[in-house]
Amino acid sequence: MKTYFKLTLLFFIVAFTSCEDVIDVDVQTAPTRLVIEASLDWEKGTIGNNQTITLSKSAPYFDTTTITGVTNASVKVTNDNDNTEFIFAHQGNGVYTTTNFVPVINDSYTLEVVYDGETYMASETLNAVTDITDLTQSVEDGFDDEELEVNVIFTDPEDEENYYLLKFEKEGDLFPALESGDDEFVNGNEITWWFEKEEDEDTDKIEAFRPGDTVDISFFGISEAYSNYIGILIEQLEPDGPFGTTPVPLKGNCVNTTSPDNYAFGYFRVTQVVKTSYTFE
Amino acid sequence: MRNLVVLCMLFTAVLSAQDNYTVSGIVKEASNGETAFGASVFLKGTSIGSVSNEYGFYSITAPKGTYALVVSYMGFEETSQEIVLDKDQKIDFEIKELSTQLEEIVIVAEETERASLKKPEMSVSKLNIKTVKQMPVVLGEVDVIKSLQMLPGVTKNGEGSGGFHVRGGAVDQNLVLLDEAIIYNTSHMLGFFSVFNADAIKDIKLYKGGIPARFGGRTSSVLDVRQKDGNSKHLALTGGIGLISSRLAIEGPMFNDKGSFLIAGRSSYVNAILAAANDKNRLGFYDLNLKTNYKLNTNNKLYLSGYFGRDSFKFGDSFSSSYGNASGNLRWNHIFNDRLFSNLSLIYSKYDYDLELNDDEFNWISSIKNYNVKYDLKYYVSDKFKFDFGASGIYYDFDPGQVRPTSETSPVNPLSLDRKKAFESALYVNAEHKITDKLTAQYGIRFSGFSRLGGQAMTDYENNQPVVYNSTLGIYERGTAIGETNYKKSETIKEFGNLEPRASLAYQLNDKSSIKAGFSRSAQYIHLLSNTTSITPLDVWTTSGKFIKPQLSNQYALGYFRNFNDKKYSIEVEGYFKTTDNRIDYIDGSDLIGQNTIETEILNGEARAYGLEFLLRKNEGRFTGWFAYTISKAEQRTPGGTAGGPGINNGDWYNSSFDRTHDLSITGAYQLNDKWSFGGNLVFQTGRPVTYPNGQFQYEGQSIASYSARNSDRLSAYHRLDVSATYKPNKKPNNRWKGEWVFGIYNVYNRKNAASVSFSQNQELGINEATRTAIFGMVPSVTYNFKF
Repeated sequence: MKTYFKLTLLFFIVAFTSCEDVIDVDVQTAPTRLVIEASLDWEKGTIGNNQTITLSKSAPYFDTTTITGVTNASVKVTNDNDNTEFIFAHQGNGVYTTTNFVPVINDSYTLEVVYDGETYMASETLNAVTDITDLTQSVEDGFDDEELEVNVIFTDPEDEENYYLLKFEKEGDLFPALESGDDEFVNGNEITWWFEKEEDEDTDKIEAFRPGDTVDISFFGISEAYSNYIGILIEQLEPDGPFGTTPVPLKGNCVNTTSPDNYAFGYFRVTQVVKTSYTFE
Repeated sequence: MRNLVVLCMLFTAVLSAQDNYTVSGIVKEASNGETAFGASVFLKGTSIGSVSNEYGFYSITAPKGTYALVVSYMGFEETSQEIVLDKDQKIDFEIKELSTQLEEIVIVAEETERASLKKPEMSVSKLNIKTVKQMPVVLGEVDVIKSLQMLPGVTKNGEGSGGFHVRGGAVDQNLVLLDEAIIYNTSHMLGFFSVFNADAIKDIKLYKGGIPARFGGRTSSVLDVRQKDGNSKHLALTGGIGLISSRLAIEGPMFNDKGSFLIAGRSSYVNAILAAANDKNRLGFYDLNLKTNYKLNTNNKLYLSGYFGRDSFKFGDSFSSSYGNASGNLRWNHIFNDRLFSNLSLIYSKYDYDLELNDDEFNWISSIKNYNVKYDLKYYVSDKFKFDFGASGIYYDFDPGQVRPTSETSPVNPLSLDRKKAFESALYVNAEHKITDKLTAQYGIRFSGFSRLGGQAMTDYENNQPVVYNSTLGIYERGTAIGETNYKKSETIKEFGNLEPRASLAYQLNDKSSIKAGFSRSAQYIHLLSNTTSITPLDVWTTSGKFIKPQLSNQYALGYFRNFNDKKYSIEVEGYFKTTDNRIDYIDGSDLIGQNTIETEILNGEARAYGLEFLLRKNEGRFTGWFAYTISKAEQRTPGGTAGGPGINNGDWYNSSFDRTHDLSITGAYQLNDKWSFGGNLVFQTGRPVTYPNGQFQYEGQSIASYSARNSDRLSAYHRLDVSATYKPNKKPNNRWKGEWVFGIYNVYNRKNAASVSFSQNQELGINEATRTAIFGMVPSVTYNFKF
């Protein structure tokens, strides 16, 4: 629903804006924080034993040097129901992995990261995801009715509140597009989730989908709390000019139990995911 | 009410001496029969006088004697008549416009210079529509709201944002009245044009503080816009043809000269251009003003007025939307006797919008409606004492949103957010009291009440907390619903009552200068919900109730006023301090769209603003204009309150997005000769407070910005220069057709003033960059205006 309001306002901007340009701006620099990207995503139909957690440090906003990993932390995840511990071992450059994770739908898990004498904790429940029933392409739908879009079709389970994260990555792109949503207005219905890329008329840099293009699609079932977090994150990824919501600090669920003010960026999520890809005809 | 009238009459009997008599009447403009609001009527050589009200009525009571009765009104010839005051009498005036344009007064900030020093009324700006028409404007469309922004203490939130801000107040804290009807959205096309058609407007009065007791319901300001009654002398046609839009107004006498009418319309023609260019998008606005009046007899007059305005747009076949205000007003002026004037108004107004999403086969509608009954009386007790009193009742019907699928195959379920109903009532009394020849006071009180009416269910929350602080994560979250309480239609969900005292005092130091002080308290029961940087036409109003408290504001002001150089120049200096309780603020990540339980997204905070305003005007001569400068601060704070925790932004004070440290406007008009005149505006403002990133981190393969404390950065300063030239071709003196060409350039040096700066990662290069959105560069325009 939010998307439609945003599109409406975007239209005004497109209609009136005489110019957009990149400028130099002085920004403040906050102290560095630990960044925990703990995304335990269980791909539907697999065992889900192999999981990765990445630790890094935040940087000044316009810093272009490569962000280096945090290498000397200890990382473990516990299943709260049976107290099984999964130790994540450091593999180099801040990447920690395990090969014996056991995902159980609706079980609660706790993450513990010890770094630099401080302990970071987070808890999350594994949310299931429904199946994608069909993938199609069309031209007339979407924001621009002359460009190709991919349609992800699924049926929302009626008996529960559902929160979704979708990730679309066109092969060859630098990074994926993220979209999130819930079933507030569409509970129990068959949903067609469209995704298209807009042609950038000024620069011609961003190209719309063409026949032959392949897009990788991940479809996650997420928790309400993570939906709130990723919703803010996505909104702030591509701000909407004068009609965007005022940006806010992003606080995830990784709490520093040693010194609470020094909380970590990032999030500990445990999800079920359907991965697929689509090639345009 | 009747008791009040009787009480006042008794009061009069006590106050007035035996051999006092009253002269009363109506002041009108000779050329078109429009009643004159704010004309000064006085007895020459005495300090006894009165100012004509919105309907041109004046009343003066003085001891028996022979006097010269004088009417003085800016831009008009002073008219005088000898009277022998030995009985009560009625004298109507028709005043003539000054023949030479060169003498034209540019701004009338008060009734007359003479009155401005003596009247306790302060913080009031009255703009003559002629002044507004002289100022250079963007795209050649005369704009009331933009003209107001040239005055001290009035700003806007950047180009492309609707509404205006007064003395550090928010857009929804302005009460905007068009012929007494509440206007909820003052702009067309997101602030590019105002909803007021200059051809249909008589005058504009903005109360920045010291709001009289007869107004209420908003904490920051009152913008009182009055439509013309319509020419009662002869049929007249006015209009203009511009690049974006055109207007046409027709007015004339009616009902055998017992009344007159006015019909004014305005429309953009962007759509025609788009259609010609084979573009599938549509974008446009139109509005219509109607007014008619009928004089039943000397003591009774009826007025009927209406406004209808609409913006609409369409994006290809994907979606379309439209929004606008509609209002109607029936008024009955009744003169009880030569000292008691009354007006009864029945008013309806509405704002609504709709969105139609063709791809997903549903539409969305939302509206706010109100029905208002008002009865206002003014009693001219003696030359030292005048009373205003009255009552008002407003019934609100809020429909925050309805979703309707438009086909069988639509993926969207029908949904109706709870309709909200409320009733706002008020009683007021206000006195204008001349204590001594040098000291005058205005004091009054307004009692306002508000009932949030039942007929719906309200969610109950665990521990009665719609918002809860999660102390582990350090964030505010929605409370847990534990059930519902059903309120019957006959029940009231919540009631509020407030006493709002208002007072101001003027002390005349000498015949050139005076000092004034004022205090006002006001309550606001309805609120506009908006968590975006600029308000949008799709924002929704909500009411005070179980979880949302009414906003309460106190304002203190002190001013110094001086005329010099034979009243050619005047200076006004005013300082103000304002506090507002219960200002709504939004928790991080608040979602207002389609939100049935708004209370889970907000906290009640407070706001404060203070500033010093300086206005130097040149009132006469070939060159007229003013220099306005304001130094001010506007900030807000939202502690956790019942939700617990430190509050929004850690409970610290932060700059409101309409805080401007420095705000400078210079506007001028120069009359070269009969044919050519020129105008110019120069504006400089401190940049708008914004929130910029203070770091980045890697997540999901991309750079994520982390943002600093709310509004702790600023856009770069806003400034621009506009110029205009008006050419009036030579005309035969008895030719009724009068035309003029207006050439204008907005933003002459093409400054790219940022409407916003947004931060994102370049999709090709992967580096972070700041992108500035500027709305208007240099915009030339040409308009042809005519009168017949």
